[in-house]
Amino acid sequence: MTIEYFIFMLINGLSQGMLLFIIASGLSLVFGVLRVINFAHGSLYMIGAFVAFSLSTLMMGGTLYSFLVLLLVVPPILAVIGFFLEVSLFRRVYGQEHLLQLLLTYALVLILDDLVRVVWGGDPRNVARPEILAGSVDVLGLALPTYNVFVLAVGPIIALGLWFLLYRTRAGSVIRAAVSYPDTLGALGVNVSWVMTSTFMLGCWLAGLGGVLTAALANIDLGIGMEKIIECFAVVVIGGLGSVGGALLGSLIIGTGITFFQLPFGRWALVFPYALMALILVLRPWGLFGKPER
Amino acid sequence: MEKSPSNNNMRWVMGIVVAVALFVLPFVLARLGRTGEYWIWVTTEMIIMALFAMSLNLILGFGGMVSFGHAAFFGAGAYTVALLMKKAGWPIYLALPAAPVVAAITAVVIGWFCVRRLGLYFAILTLAFSQLLYMVIFQWYTFTGGDDGIHGIPRPEFLTAINYYLLCLILFLICFVIMRMIVNSSFGLSIRTIRENLERAKFIGINVRRYQLINFTIAGAFAGLAGGLLTLLNRFAQTEFLHWSKSAEPILASLVGGMYSLVGPVIGSTVLMFLKIILQQLHRSMVEMWAIVLGLILLVVVLFAPGGMVELYERVFGKSES
Repeated sequence: MTIEYFIFMLINGLSQGMLLFIIASGLSLVFGVLRVINFAHGSLYMIGAFVAFSLSTLMMGGTLYSFLVLLLVVPPILAVIGFFLEVSLFRRVYGQEHLLQLLLTYALVLILDDLVRVVWGGDPRNVARPEILAGSVDVLGLALPTYNVFVLAVGPIIALGLWFLLYRTRAGSVIRAAVSYPDTLGALGVNVSWVMTSTFMLGCWLAGLGGVLTAALANIDLGIGMEKIIECFAVVVIGGLGSVGGALLGSLIIGTGITFFQLPFGRWALVFPYALMALILVLRPWGLFGKPER
Repeated sequence: MEKSPSNNNMRWVMGIVVAVALFVLPFVLARLGRTGEYWIWVTTEMIIMALFAMSLNLILGFGGMVSFGHAAFFGAGAYTVALLMKKAGWPIYLALPAAPVVAAITAVVIGWFCVRRLGLYFAILTLAFSQLLYMVIFQWYTFTGGDDGIHGIPRPEFLTAINYYLLCLILFLICFVIMRMIVNSSFGLSIRTIRENLERAKFIGINVRRYQLINFTIAGAFAGLAGGLLTLLNRFAQTEFLHWSKSAEPILASLVGGMYSLVGPVIGSTVLMFLKIILQQLHRSMVEMWAIVLGLILLVVVLFAPGGMVELYERVFGKSES
């Protein structure tokens, strides 16, 4: 393997990982605060991708301007959907048995996935990339696909943004307190249920952003929600449930892992996330970054 | 769990009446021509899926272990029958019993790791292992046919639609009786003790992990039998049998029917399948809406009746258990 090829693969794998991170960090954040594993996170991501497709068609997309509009408009739409879901449904199952929580979110998967099919049909769709992101860029004499480099740049911005939000703002310290000591937080006069709602909205916002980025990267179809949610599970388990830093590490491991294992193993590389997930759960169930269960 | 004798006798009479009716059913249906044939096929599938749901409930309802990977054992049984009959040319009387055996072996291996984890982690680990198995079967084209599955599995001539229905029914009843004996045995009571209070179960000397592993394996074996039976009904096995959405089906059936009884999942599974077919018959486009309907049913059950139909029945008729 030449060094150029190695770098090419690395960039590709890392950009896949970054995309995964944007989606999985939402799942992880929501689990951390709400203690609910949201199966429907993948469906929300898929809705984001399809809404992006529709808006892009509406705006005769393909320009930089329309793509920016997608990035600015679609994630908030998902956050609003998230608001209604949290207030009407999720709120009722906090603190209940895991089974009921999982099944509630699974019911949403069934409903949302089918709604997507009814609204958009089963054909594969995509969003035209703006011209500036369509070609390839020269990095050290290598022609890299611009869009992958773009995704690779967005990932760290989101990671930094989340870090800043969680560790440098008052809202962030409230969220972190809600993870560790929800009761104490409530006793201190913080409206915990509003913290939960806004965290859930933030999670959905991230799912929406992941959806937009995916729609311009590859074809989207009805299977992407189910496919992605299991990958996100793997990421979140590897990094540690509820840890955003862990989600970043987990995403990059899985993204680059799949890309590099494809060389010797071909399609078998897709087994890698599940094998790693099972291994981590057996050896270190709280993940690489998480803490053992309280 | 004390039952008055008359109540208990009533149950036996009810059970025997239902069983006799089920034995007569295919002969009645056979007189109805093509729709009858279709319904024999559907009821056979209902019996098989009821067995699958019942098997999961051994760990879910009685053991309190939420497994999101039960399809792994269903699929293991299905592929065992498919591979042995199609590729190795085994006769049915050897291939079908092999299904629960292979499924049980798979369950011992997977379960050995899984019972070391509790609650949510147990659920995710079962999911991880079943997805692992799913991916292996999906990718291993030369052996399992990948996403094409295995088609054209021979079924002996004497197993006509009616005979196959009867075979499934008899096996189902045998399994039902066995599971009833398991649930009411001292082993079954220990399993329920673990569900109710894990710490106390440990304290009184129950080897929690071993009991859970045995229970997990038994459940896996029954699921494997169900998988093998479905393969023979359809004459094909496909990767979908192992997909995680297949693992959700018996959970939904158990939840809708009621988790804390043996018949609950049977009722739940049958009602859901029946409803799906009725909707299909009502309007073709309703097929598309099925997942939405199922999701809404599930939402209602989760939010308003987490005990399922059995509990609703008991609540309405005042026959509270425990």
